[in-house]
Amino acid sequence: MGKLGRIGLTLLVVAAAVVAGTWVWDHYLYSPWTRDGRIRADIITIAPDVSGWVTELSVKNNRLVNKGDPLFTIDDTRYRAKFAESNARLAQERTGWDLARHQYERRQRMADLQSISEESLEAYRIRAEAAKASYLLAQAELDTARIDLERTQVLAPESGIVNNLSLRRGNYVSRGEAVLSLINNDSFYVTGYFEETKLQQVHVGQKARITLLSGGEKLSGEVVSITRGIADSNTTSDSLMLPKVQAAFNWVRLAQRIPVDIALDPFPEDLNISAGMTVSIYLETDMEKAPDKE
Amino acid sequence: MLHEMSLGGMLFSPFVLLLPLAFIMAAITRGVLHYMGLRTYIWKKAWFDVAMFVCWLAAIVYLFAN
Repeated sequence: MGKLGRIGLTLLVVAAAVVAGTWVWDHYLYSPWTRDGRIRADIITIAPDVSGWVTELSVKNNRLVNKGDPLFTIDDTRYRAKFAESNARLAQERTGWDLARHQYERRQRMADLQSISEESLEAYRIRAEAAKASYLLAQAELDTARIDLERTQVLAPESGIVNNLSLRRGNYVSRGEAVLSLINNDSFYVTGYFEETKLQQVHVGQKARITLLSGGEKLSGEVVSITRGIADSNTTSDSLMLPKVQAAFNWVRLAQRIPVDIALDPFPEDLNISAGMTVSIYLETDMEKAPDKE
Repeated sequence: MLHEMSLGGMLFSPFVLLLPLAFIMAAITRGVLHYMGLRTYIWKKAWFDVAMFVCWLAAIVYLFAN
């Protein structure tokens, strides 16, 4: 082989390397994939609607509960007493209304005989109206007492897994304060944090291949939404309402990461996945999809 | 292969594995060529070795990408 042949062979390999290197660079840096993905799920926080001691705890940690199953029961002694009180009060107000109505009806007959003044008749009419309003008020209070009594038993609003249960029998729980959380069953999805440089290649409906850190079988999914806003720390203000502008390096700047939500296709039942697990996500580009269409 | 590599719970970029693999393949190629006496047909050996490494890297990324 002459010198020309040797030079040609070497340059050929170098040219191939330039093409291959460019491909690797584009593939690695600009194809829509990310190592920064997380499995997420819909979490429901459960807070009681009434305060009191927990008298019965019906669930265990990390166990499945079905929609409508009791989670825990709050001591209902006070709410029973309140219900009885409201009931008695309703009866009292009903009697009061009956009496006032009766008196008014009698005064009406007397008015027909013109033995009572118009002012007095009007006073009795208003008194009857007030008694009726009191009765309706007592009825509303009874309804509230009934709702409170019913809500001493806290039911699961959805099917799900009880999570991080630290509630114990005897604890005092306050109205509106969350005491446990449910991970909604079958609500697992993936959020991938894609660099802004790759975002133009992400589209809703794009197929995704998802790899768990533990390896094994790949999961598949589909892009359902792209977040349209992330926090900009430069827009926060100090106590004088001046913007807190961050100092930045002139040479190196990190790409922002934009959350992209991916719905998971059905996956094997025996696969253990938990919200918070790390995943790598690779989105299929149009070029890869093209051969499938043919 | 474009996914996180886990080594004992620590997470690495896939290149941490792909780069040494390409390096080993390039070294093997170099050894084979030397053994067969074909390296005399190379004009600039350093250029050739670097180019071979890049080609191997691209081939490995392509092969393991799916």
